[in-house]
This record gives sequence, structure tokens and C-alpha cells, in this order.
Amino acid sequence: MTEPVPDIHQALRGVLDPETGRDLIAMGLIYETRFETGTAHVRMTTTTRGCPLTEMLRLGVEAALLAVPGIAAAEVTLTWEPLWTPDRMEPLPM
Amino acid sequence: MPGKHLSRWTLAWFGSALLFLLAACGLALLGAAGPQDWSRGAGLAVVHLFTLGWLCHVMLGALIQFVPVLAARPLALPMLALPALIAASAGTVDLALGFLFLDGHDALRPLFLIAPFATGLGFTLVALMVAATLLTHATLRLAEVRLVLLALFALAGLWLSGTLMVLTLSGTAMVLDLAVTRPLHILLGVGGWLSLAAFGVSYKLFAMFLLAPEKISRLRDAIFLTAMLGVTILLTALLLLLTERSTAWAMGVTLGLIPVIALLYLSEITRIWQSRRRAAPEGNMLWSRVALAFLGLAVLLALPGWFIGGVWAEAAIFLALVGWLSTLTLAQMVKIVSFLTWIQIFAPRIGRRPVPLVQKLSNAQAVAFCLALWSAGAVTGCVALLLASSAGFRLAVALLTLAALGLVRELIAIRHLSHLAAQERPATLPHLILPLTQPLQPVEFRS
Repeated sequence: MTEPVPDIHQALRGVLDPETGRDLIAMGLIYETRFETGTAHVRMTTTTRGCPLTEMLRLGVEAALLAVPGIAAAEVTLTWEPLWTPDRMEPLPM
Repeated sequence: MPGKHLSRWTLAWFGSALLFLLAACGLALLGAAGPQDWSRGAGLAVVHLFTLGWLCHVMLGALIQFVPVLAARPLALPMLALPALIAASAGTVDLALGFLFLDGHDALRPLFLIAPFATGLGFTLVALMVAATLLTHATLRLAEVRLVLLALFALAGLWLSGTLMVLTLSGTAMVLDLAVTRPLHILLGVGGWLSLAAFGVSYKLFAMFLLAPEKISRLRDAIFLTAMLGVTILLTALLLLLTERSTAWAMGVTLGLIPVIALLYLSEITRIWQSRRRAAPEGNMLWSRVALAFLGLAVLLALPGWFIGGVWAEAAIFLALVGWLSTLTLAQMVKIVSFLTWIQIFAPRIGRRPVPLVQKLSNAQAVAFCLALWSAGAVTGCVALLLASSAGFRLAVALLTLAALGLVRELIAIRHLSHLAAQERPATLPHLILPLTQPLQPVEFRS
């Protein structure tokens, strides 16, 4: 029987931006997610390149992924290509 | 490495700046300064405790924290932050005490002469850190980075003009016409160094806090070019003063440029505000709007200040220092201290445990009350200066002192995490102003 694919998105929804209180997906900071042979791959950015939180957010995402049953390893890479813009944010719920 | 973009001594710079602010307010409350009384030693001591001690310290501390964000690279030469703080603080105390030499305290003359060297050392060390961080091919194309670097040139001119005035006032050397040098010194300090640095930093900060798109802007380039012209003219005029040539033309041209620069800056900030994605801006941004209104008012008052002088000039300078620069700084300081404290304590918990929002670390209502009190003090002081009312000015200083005390209390509460529930606070609180520890390890929390 095949193991179910872990829900990476749900894990990322639990990581909040401390300024806005919105999760990283809603903020448009997650560019790509993949799951291959037990490893979760995430490509993410920050709202500004020099953000002092950059590395801590990356480590936080890694920790959140590793807490998900079925994920044995996490590879989180930071990129600023393309640069984040507010247009990437999900609309606020009405 | 986590936390590599943090400057460890920012809170020490802020703490030192706030002590100087309280000292300036306290002495003014005791009557050391008042309308049309700015040439006495005690009055000049208060002015420099405010400008050099409060505003310069807070700007230097903010710059070494913020240039890594502007340049997207770690702060260069971080080991210079503490020696720079010690030198700048010692220089400020020396200068304030040294000014009392003008009131007949001859024994203080040596302090007066040492002060420029100590402040010069502090400024140079910070300038080295800032320039070494910002000077890259990639960052120099950003107008906000060039504005900060231009502000450092104005700081050099401010220091040089101040040093020449100290030498003249102390009777050591260089007999300058102080009536000509003083406006040049003020323009380099208020318009050049402090305002241009505030412009450069605010573009990035405002866009970040408002979630507004960061666009390459022609307006920003126009501000830089106009400001560069103004600073170049002021520095040229300073050199001409040394050869005893007339500099009236330079003052006239620069004062003509100031409304243009202010208008361009306010136009761009309006654009950033209008393009924001943050539906409900926080208090730091709402009160920054009040600071921007003070900037506009100060520029309007500068025109009669130039042509008529006297109380109009006093009111314009007061509004620029107390209304524009201080309101902006105090509003953003609450946010910056909250953010740094949050990073220090809660960043290691991201993705592992629930974390509070940054804004939960402060009491928005208390901060708004204090900033309203500060703004009321700025307006009252401006009116009192226009009316040459000593009693009105004393009332204004009382309002400013109460506001400053309230904000200091709130900043201490933020550092002590007093607004959070007990279970959200770590077992060990961070130090009030000593170095921000690099948040490498998760902090122990009460269960």
C-alpha cells in the first residue's frame, strides 16, 4: 500500500508572518513545493531581500515541514528571483 | 547564520539617545532654554543635547541597524558600533558641558575643545560601517542608498562647521562670522544630514510596513539630484567661508531648493501610501503622517524664517527638529524596538510553536496617547516661539517631557514583554539595552 503524500501546504499554512498574522502561502512567499522520496522541497522568498528574519523564516519552514508525519527531510531554499511584490498576496477574506 | 542582519548595539544607541532626550527636556523645563535665548551657553547646551544627543544618536543607531536591510547584506565592520557609541556619547556630554564655558565657567573650556574630536571619531566610525555596507555596484543604483550616503557628506559638513564654530567661540583660532556660519550649520544638520537620512530610510521602511510595491521611481532620482545640488552648494559655501567670501547666494539657493525637495518627497510618500496593500496601517505609520505634516509646516515657516528671521526662523527649526524628525523617529522607534525584541525572543520558535504578532508586544493606545502629547507639545512650542512666550514654551516642554517619559516607559514594557500573558514570556527576559543576542537557540519558555 502506498503511503499518502504529506500535506506540505497545510504545514506551511501554520507558519505565520509575525507582522501581518497571515501565513506564508497567503503572503505569497512560497514559490514552489515538491515531495520526492521522503523529502519535502520548498522554494520561498521574503517580502524584502534584506529582511532580518530571512534565515529564521527558512529554518522555521524547515521545522514545520519536519513535524509532518511522512516527511523525513526538508530542503528549503531562498530565492529573490522573481522579487516578491504585494500582488502575490492572497486577497483578504471578506 | 540566523540573525546575521542584526546590529547588536542598536538598543544601546537608542537608550543613549533617549537619555539625552530626557536630559534636554529636563534642562529646558528648568529654564535653561527658551524663546530668543539660544545664544547663551546653557541654551546651546540644551539644543545640542537634543540635536546631537537625541536625534543624531537615534539616527546613527537606526542606520547601522537598517543599512543591512537597504543593501541586503550584513553590516560591515560591526565591531566599530560600540566604540562609535562611546565616542559620540562622550563628545555630546563634552559639548553640552563645554557650552557652559560661554556662560563664564572657564574650567569647562578644555571639554569644549575636546568635544569635536570625540564626536568626529564617533561619526567617522559609523560612516565607515555604513559606507562599507552600502558601497556596492548593486546598491548604488538605488536612489535611497545614494540619499543615505549624501546624508553622510552633509554630516561631515555639519561636523566641520561645528568644529570651526567651537574653535571660534573658544577663542582658539579661526575667527569666523558666526552669524553667517550658524545658518549653514543648521541647514547642513537639519536639512542635509538628518532629513536626507530620514528620507532614504523611510522609503524602504514605509514600503515594508505598508506592504506597498517597491518601484524604481523617477521622483526619487529627482529628489537625490536636487538634494545633491543643495548639499554641494552648502559644502562649497562652507569652504568659501574659510576664504572670507560671501555665501549669501548659497543660502538663498539652498533655501529655494528645500520646498522642491520636500514637495517631491511628500509626493512619493503619498504614492507609496496610496499603493499599500495593508488595509489598516499600524500606529507607527499613522503617526508618521503627522510627522510628514510637520515637515510641510516647517518648510512653509522656513520662508518667512529666511526673509524675516527671528521668531519665524526659531519656529521653523523647532518644528523641523521636534515635529518632523522627532515624531517620525519616536513613532518608528516603538515599532523597531518591538520588532527587534520579537526577533530576539520569538524568531527561534517560528514553525515550531505558536508565536505572538509583533504588535502584541506594545500597547497601541498608550503609544498613541504619548505621540499625541508629543505632537501637542510640538504645536504649542511652535506657537510659543512665534509669540516669544516663555510661559508657553515651558508648557510645550512639559508636554514633550511627559510624552518622552511615557514612551520610555512603553519601550521598557516592550523589552520586558509586559503586554504578553505570563505563559507567552520566556523564563529569562532580554537585557534592556545591552547587545541583542543572536537568536541562534530557541529560548526557554514557561510551560
